[in-house]
Amino acid sequence: MTADPHALATTEHSPVAGLSHDARGGIGNPVLGMLLFITSEVMFFAGLFAAYFSVRANAPSWPPLNPETGEAFHLAIFPLVGPATVLLIASSFTAQFAVWAIRRGDRTAFIRNLSVTVVLGIIFLVMQAIDYAALGAEGITLSAGTFGTTYFTLTGFHGAHVFGGVVMLGVVLYRGLAGQFSARHHDAVEAASLYWHFVDVVWILLFSLLYILPGSGG
Amino acid sequence: MHPLRHPRNAALVGILFVVIGVVYWVIPYVGGWHIDYAGTTMLIALGAAMALMAYVLVAGSPNE
Repeated sequence: MTADPHALATTEHSPVAGLSHDARGGIGNPVLGMLLFITSEVMFFAGLFAAYFSVRANAPSWPPLNPETGEAFHLAIFPLVGPATVLLIASSFTAQFAVWAIRRGDRTAFIRNLSVTVVLGIIFLVMQAIDYAALGAEGITLSAGTFGTTYFTLTGFHGAHVFGGVVMLGVVLYRGLAGQFSARHHDAVEAASLYWHFVDVVWILLFSLLYILPGSGG
Repeated sequence: MHPLRHPRNAALVGILFVVIGVVYWVIPYVGGWHIDYAGTTMLIALGAAMALMAYVLVAGSPNE
């Protein structure tokens, strides 16, 4: 009876079992699943971006006039959105530091960096909520024409993804505190980190689009 | 490993779609016709999605 050459190696006998790649050179199921999920998410946000570009290109001027004030809508980078962006980008770095720490088996640094990542994610959400309240006071709401609709749909869905990411990282942190991860077994950490980087990249695109790209017409 | 099966080459699949998206934007821009920004956005995003999918297929396959 010959051994199946395609069989996965067991934890006890393979030097690579438990890593992101199995004995045959493939990638682990959690990372594979997350990559497929991110792929679908790319197209989800593509639909929103496409709608935004289409609405913007067909508007006589952008940003359009606020019917309440008679002036063009204006989104301020400071004091909230700019610093929130910096925090979110910083959280991507701390997430990666956590991944590198657990890869080398440094659980203390892993827990520390992952904790900072979760806290930064929560602060971002709080700052976004405060910004929403401030925009509402200025008359920029979900019902404020195509500008408000596209702005809140784009940033709202992104915020929902950040919330999901915070929950995901929170679960990973809880499992990390319970000692469930090591240098050999940490696929969930890699997968959650990939998702967090994706959310970060989407925000950088959103920020560039909504706050930096110059207006047109008018 | 065969050179074509290197995960890095998955990016080529994505770049192909990005190039198509850019051409889709450049031709009406130069010709002065209506530019389909939604289609251009979707094509470029499709490039990113396709690159990820290609990476999954290449990196997730056995080496044998």
